[in-house]
Amino acid sequence: MKKHIVAISALLSIGSLWSQQKQIDYLEYDLSNGLHVILHEEHTVPIVAVSIMYHVGSKNEKADRTGFAHFFEHLLFEGSTNIKRGEYAQIVEKNGGTLNANTSQDRTYYYQILPSNQVELGIWLESERLLHARVDKVGIETQRQVVKEEKRQSVDNQPYATFLANMSSRVFKKHPYGWVPIGSMEHLDAAQEEDYVNFYRTFYVPSNAVLSIAGDINVVETKKMIEKYFGSIPKGQAINMYRDIENLSDDAFKNKYGVEKLKFSLNNFLKPVDSNAKKVLQKQLATLTTIPKPTVIEEPIKGQIVDTIYDNIQLPGIFMGYRFPEQNHKDYPVVEVLNSILSEGTSSRMIKSIVEKKQLAVEAFSFAMNSEDPGLGIVATIAGENTDLKTLQSAMDEEITRIQKELVSKEELQKVINQYENTIVSANSGVAGIAENLANNYMYRKNTSLINKQLSSYLTITPEDIQRVAKKYLTQDSRVILIYLPKSSN
Amino acid sequence: MKKLLFLCLAICANLNLFAQLDRSIRPTGGVAPIINIKESDVFTLSNGITVILSENHKIPRISINLVLGSNPILEGTKTGLSSIAGELLMSGTVNRTKDQLDQEIDFIGANINTSSQNVSLQCLTKHVVKGLDLMTDVLFHPTFPEDEFIRLKKRSESSIISSKSNPGSMASNAEARANFPSGHPYGEIETESTLKNITLNDVKDYYKNIFTPKGSYLVIIGDVTKEQAKLWADNYFGAWQGNDKITSIYEDAYFHKGNRVIFVSKPGAPQSVINVNFPLKIKSGDKNQLLLSTLNGILGGGGFGARMTQNLREKRAYTYGCYSRANVTEDGSYFSISGNFRTEVTDSAIAQILIELDRIQQTEVTDDELVSIKALMAGNFARSLERPMTVAQFALNIIKYNLPKDYYQTYLKRLDAITKEEILATAKGYLTATNSNIVVVGNPDILDKLKKFDSDGTIEKLDALGQEVKELNKTTISKETILEKYLMNITGTENIKKALKKLNKVKGLKRETELISTQIPAPILQTEYIDSKGKETMLLTMGANILQKSAYNGVTGYEEDQRGKTPLSSEALIAKKKVYGVFPEVNFFSNDLTFEVLGIESINGLDAYLVKYNDGIKNTYDYFDSKTFHKIRSVSSENGREQTFNYSNFKNVNGILFPQTISIEMDGMSLIGTVKTIDINPKIETSIFE
Repeated sequence: MKKHIVAISALLSIGSLWSQQKQIDYLEYDLSNGLHVILHEEHTVPIVAVSIMYHVGSKNEKADRTGFAHFFEHLLFEGSTNIKRGEYAQIVEKNGGTLNANTSQDRTYYYQILPSNQVELGIWLESERLLHARVDKVGIETQRQVVKEEKRQSVDNQPYATFLANMSSRVFKKHPYGWVPIGSMEHLDAAQEEDYVNFYRTFYVPSNAVLSIAGDINVVETKKMIEKYFGSIPKGQAINMYRDIENLSDDAFKNKYGVEKLKFSLNNFLKPVDSNAKKVLQKQLATLTTIPKPTVIEEPIKGQIVDTIYDNIQLPGIFMGYRFPEQNHKDYPVVEVLNSILSEGTSSRMIKSIVEKKQLAVEAFSFAMNSEDPGLGIVATIAGENTDLKTLQSAMDEEITRIQKELVSKEELQKVINQYENTIVSANSGVAGIAENLANNYMYRKNTSLINKQLSSYLTITPEDIQRVAKKYLTQDSRVILIYLPKSSN
Repeated sequence: MKKLLFLCLAICANLNLFAQLDRSIRPTGGVAPIINIKESDVFTLSNGITVILSENHKIPRISINLVLGSNPILEGTKTGLSSIAGELLMSGTVNRTKDQLDQEIDFIGANINTSSQNVSLQCLTKHVVKGLDLMTDVLFHPTFPEDEFIRLKKRSESSIISSKSNPGSMASNAEARANFPSGHPYGEIETESTLKNITLNDVKDYYKNIFTPKGSYLVIIGDVTKEQAKLWADNYFGAWQGNDKITSIYEDAYFHKGNRVIFVSKPGAPQSVINVNFPLKIKSGDKNQLLLSTLNGILGGGGFGARMTQNLREKRAYTYGCYSRANVTEDGSYFSISGNFRTEVTDSAIAQILIELDRIQQTEVTDDELVSIKALMAGNFARSLERPMTVAQFALNIIKYNLPKDYYQTYLKRLDAITKEEILATAKGYLTATNSNIVVVGNPDILDKLKKFDSDGTIEKLDALGQEVKELNKTTISKETILEKYLMNITGTENIKKALKKLNKVKGLKRETELISTQIPAPILQTEYIDSKGKETMLLTMGANILQKSAYNGVTGYEEDQRGKTPLSSEALIAKKKVYGVFPEVNFFSNDLTFEVLGIESINGLDAYLVKYNDGIKNTYDYFDSKTFHKIRSVSSENGREQTFNYSNFKNVNGILFPQTISIEMDGMSLIGTVKTIDINPKIETSIFE
């Protein structure tokens, strides 16, 4: 009898689900230069989030130039042709806004949140960053030092923080997921100004970006502003010709394009009068930029690789790494659910059993990398004091084996879906979150409308799916185990 | 007509497209939007709860937070009690085991959190009834199971251990100790031994005293109507009863004279955490708080434009980030500037921080800086309104800190009116570049470079948990020599033979010492009887009342206080055979006691030899002045509890030196003892030792 009741209540909660998730309305279109634009209008608070997501992350880097994508996240605050060094952030702040950026393996994301009367300023600022940012020696030198400090602070001097780099390099032997966004400081040192300039010319082009704006805007007016500042950015290789006008000497420009710089006006670049200039421009406009993307297929991890890492820590940790599917894969929502069953919330299996009942660990967690290409899944614990690490590892393996052998109950599955619903609803509580969410759905899933269907991919998951996926990905005979041990006994 | 106009606009816009664009022209914003702050509803329940409701229907979610009214308590030797108590609340109720509770909370995708000061619920609107049911079950019917208590203690111990390698927590522990060295909850740091002292009864008492409706706030935010919120407040929280809230008043933070460097060693660290801090004489709700925030924004709190970021990150690239913060609370406030810096530039970075601290007190900020920070703060204010939490927090602050009703309505106007002169006066009034605590967590190799920042050149060293590090210098002197010199010193003789001869004549001693403390209402008289064979009795009396007695007759003994009489354990009896007599050191050579010289430690500027011995139940550390060989301090520790005796004011009694002043520190209490009488070889009835 009890089971029936649970089943009915589960049904009820699914039924009421759709009324709970509020629709996010938006509008999207492409500019002729290929920039994708997404706009969401709402007037709750007089603020607006202006953001650009560039489809470049550490996976687009060369193996001997790692850390570039993240380095650009820093460099692109240095200013532009029309924005003096160090002024970029100050302009935003002086106008009551805030800004920041972050970089992943797959993309670099810049955003500003401004009072809504400053939306045009935000659009201008982002268009300057895209068209002609300052990529020069002075900025490179300063930011090199800053990035080194960032690495020391957030990786080298933080307990366990090297685990992702150590894990990635062992799980991915060919694919650029083998390094992490912070990259190598030696590579950054070795790189020349030219390397940086080329990176900018390759990846910072309109067809490789999504402009997402959410908040207290008037869509008609905002579209005009976007056309004005972004629509005027040349498409194809013409953007780099524009950059060359600004940076090359007259002779160098003529050598490169066979036409004089003078024949172009920066203020009216797309409409040169000179017929030769017109021809050259047409050619550059038609030469589309190809974005280098990794094509290698990573083979499965060969056997079980176990390594010990000595770190400045007090308590040992066990980090298991598995090959997981990419976020667009049909199995991806299932591995997310799988992770939640293992470690989300106090009632989750690893927390209940390893942390609370057996008291072998002080922390237990698992997650999927949320990546564009097939990625990484982590199952990890931080040992309690005096825990025997063999016992701890068997306890972790026991949970993995259990989820592979036994079907999860309907209630447990429903619990996880309810947890997701809360997360999804909360993610759209502010305009900044909405802007990023819209861009994510477009860039990774090629379908912006999925923002309103986020829960649906979880609703069809069955206990059998979870079992199948657990067997498929949490493979004990193909994984990396990192044992973190304290550097010295004192 | 309307349509026509629209069409025209569209054409103009299109024309505009083909027009030239001068990108160097920075767009100026249109008319600044009007910022509306929604009013919160405030009402009270008959049991003393103030309810604050902030309605917001943007997303179907509700959060309900019960914030208790008492302020932090002193925890002393039980530091960590309140956080364990707060956490243990989630360990099961009369109606649900912990497993059931966890399962039910996770099942509705809710978050329920408890701490020493609050219980909160956050969930989707459709689950709120179930959520409230669970939240109030946790709040009203916790069972505090023993096994969970033990588990949480064990886990806290592990987290204390982890925190010892975390540079951030190492720095904040030192910062807390520097600003609140005693008698303030902010300066109390949980250690393995304070954790050990916490009992389950302490937790239950904490819950009983602190978790009370009187003076508490129920903050309801989100997708709920006023009627519904009222109903819930009444139905779920209206019948709750309890005692008055506890209001403790704490002294201001400690103001140190002169700059002092406090160093926490982290060998091999690639970066140093620098944290320059000093106390602030200001409390939440003070009229100068907005001025102080604005000043802090310009100095290092407000974004990329702030002086600290511009100087230390953008100009010198010493750091990824350096920020200042004015930590203002009701119970104690302090200012701090902190960041992570690469090891080689630690001293240069400190110098720049101090320069910036000084500069902002000497000259007015620029117009540009002031305009910028106002814009930034106005922007922050507007953006913060997006979170329904902010509006509720405003209402809570107005009540808690007695602010004018329109405090936040007038916020932007007051911000706009701030002048450069006011900022300078605020800097002069609150900041200091010469009386600050300079905390550095880093590689000990850099120590010498830091000396120049300390006004007396002596760097204080703390460990990861903010406890003083005892610096020991090596010494070659033997343990026998130290004891012999000590015995010769107290007897005023030139060789050990003569000293022993003199001491052996002392067959017994009676000493009366008066103990006073600010923590006890009247002086306590301590009377000791000791004979050279090891019998001893000690009495503590206040007036005619015996507070405590301990006695040992050479075979058995006991301790007695108001709670009753406890016989000495077999271990204690063995210990009595190892360390005994009026001058125990006389017997150290002949019995099987192991003792050793640990080194030289500086005590109040005097070099002292540190001798350690263990009698089987406790470690004792005796400090002998390296010049006079007076015994100036004795510390004994047993099961994590420590007692310190400081001896001074030595006087000759029958040819032997005895200290006349003894200060004692134990269990967070300090006592000053003055010796009233010393009788050598008095007549002592043997019954005294029974």
